Amino acid sequence: MRLPGTRYQEHGWEHVRKLLGRCSLAVFARQAMDALLDPARRLVALDDYLDAMALQLRAPRHHAQAAMPGNSYGDTAGELACALLFELRAQPSCWDGLCAAVSAEHARHGAFWQGEAGHAMLRKKANDMYAVLRDKADADACQVATGRPCTPNRMYTYRMLDTAYGEIARLFANWRHCAAQVADILGAEPGLVSGGMPAAARQMHTIADCRAEWIIRWSATLERHTGAPGPLHTRSKRFASLKNQPEAIAAMLREIGEYEALSANMGALGQVRGDEDEAALWLEDYWRVVAESEAAHGVDHGAGDGADHGGEAAEAPVPDMLDALLAPSGGGLTHDGGDDGEDRDDDAEREFAAAGMAFDDGAGDEVSLSPGFVNQAEQVAAGQVTAILAGVSLPVRLAVYHALLGARDDSYPDAWLDPATGELPSLRQLAVLDGISMPTLRKRRNEAMALLSQAAARGADGKGQR
Amino acid sequence: MKDDKVLEQALLARVARDDRLMLADAVLLAALDGSRPLAPAERRALQASPLTLRRFRHLALQRRAAALQCRPPAANDAWWDGSAGMLRAAASAAALDELVTDDGHWTLHFVPDEDAGWQLIVQLDAQAPFAGRLLRERTLLRVVDGGGAILLQGRLDADGECERPWPFELAPMAHFQLYGATFAIEPCQ
Repeated sequence: MRLPGTRYQEHGWEHVRKLLGRCSLAVFARQAMDALLDPARRLVALDDYLDAMALQLRAPRHHAQAAMPGNSYGDTAGELACALLFELRAQPSCWDGLCAAVSAEHARHGAFWQGEAGHAMLRKKANDMYAVLRDKADADACQVATGRPCTPNRMYTYRMLDTAYGEIARLFANWRHCAAQVADILGAEPGLVSGGMPAAARQMHTIADCRAEWIIRWSATLERHTGAPGPLHTRSKRFASLKNQPEAIAAMLREIGEYEALSANMGALGQVRGDEDEAALWLEDYWRVVAESEAAHGVDHGAGDGADHGGEAAEAPVPDMLDALLAPSGGGLTHDGGDDGEDRDDDAEREFAAAGMAFDDGAGDEVSLSPGFVNQAEQVAAGQVTAILAGVSLPVRLAVYHALLGARDDSYPDAWLDPATGELPSLRQLAVLDGISMPTLRKRRNEAMALLSQAAARGADGKGQR
Repeated sequence: MKDDKVLEQALLARVARDDRLMLADAVLLAALDGSRPLAPAERRALQASPLTLRRFRHLALQRRAAALQCRPPAANDAWWDGSAGMLRAAASAAALDELVTDDGHWTLHFVPDEDAGWQLIVQLDAQAPFAGRLLRERTLLRVVDGGGAILLQGRLDADGECERPWPFELAPMAHFQLYGATFAIEPCQ
């Protein structure tokens, strides 16, 4: 099934799901699982998980699976899996869901992940997380493409209807052998069907030709023919109200059909992939719109009061460009994250000890970088990001690129890459380069990312730095 | 090093729980074309919502693509650099008597002649925005098929028509089916 903006709704999803499941198991086998049980350590555990998954996805033993087609837009399973990891970073509630499920299992069975049977349970929990995440990601993308609200539940419903249509089409094609069921779907006498298919059913060529009442009757009579209740008629409440709304079903079937017809045209598919210049083009528009708004209505710092006195903790002031340029180096940056109040580096060091133990076996294959690396890399660092993050060390800045664009991107200058891998240095290497621990590196990276997004959102530097 | 991609990601990949589309398309489009700047509350909503920013991005790029297609913007009534059309699947059985371009401005007529051949007539709709200029300037036009072969070349008469013999042995329908079922009318440079 394809809808505007979606990427994870076609049959190739099975490959993506299997790939993510296998990699998750490998990563969880080395991860300190206790961290998932502790709400205070969950976000750090997510960082560990995402970094390890990015490496695991590129491991040679997953190459075949990663090369499988993930959708009809030309994305491979590996590319989609990688894209979902970026989504996971932005949707930590999905990770919270997984942690809650692991905690519940742990409350019943203890450290279930250590046993053989635990692997299946763990894989199931990872599958569940990614099932929710893919519908969330696609529902968001659909909203972006259409401007109409869409929820993960609605995405799930589209897919259910698409699957139901597929079943009905299969039955219609095979009608001589399933006359009774086809008669039930059509609401006709069985004798009528054995004499030949009604024209409307014969002429069903796409999902848009499928009638809502066929879906409802197919679901209502499925249990009689197969023993399993139809999706609209299970005991669960999920689709209970939908079976009384044929118009809603018909509208959704039509939407799927319309986009299927539209996207069968390759021109429409091509537009989905962005090109390099798109970011520059729309950011220019965005900064212009922000500037025009400020010119027309004035700049309001936190509605005019309290911002400079720190009086209203809830309404954190957004640092402007000048603040960013004057900011002291390293941990001196401030932002409105609630998760790093008092705990400074000594807490971080303790976590480092735990994380270091958990990941020791990954460190062996990394070669240390040449002593001149930072100097050479610094020489090619210029532009807005360097200006906004003035005072932030180069390794931390590279960690920001790592998190936002990945280890590999065409836009990286050669001097930033580890000659051994052709990629940005790993987080561990960056931490060593900076002489800090991994948790400190991550903390500073997160602070720098918050600063970067605030500066980009304000757009005060839109013209001056370009 | 171009930083736009990383700034884009910094904006769009932020964590924002329970994010939703915060502004209507009409508000975003009016801000984009400068007719109505965002109010401060709208600006803050846009800045704080990655999903709304992604919708803004979509609309901004769409708007730029559209602007590119109808250049130059100044002469919005006279510009024309070609029209394309395709054979309709519904016409498969019947003999072909006419085809219309996707923009609706041009019609191709196929009229059987005495020698078992066809006459091809290209006709410009007098209501087309660029009709006045084309008739005035007597632009040299051609009609090409999906394979790039020239089916007709000439200038429009005062009625906005140009007639030539069909250049092939094969009937128009069969010919179009052989060459991608598409055609285009374009000015000769």
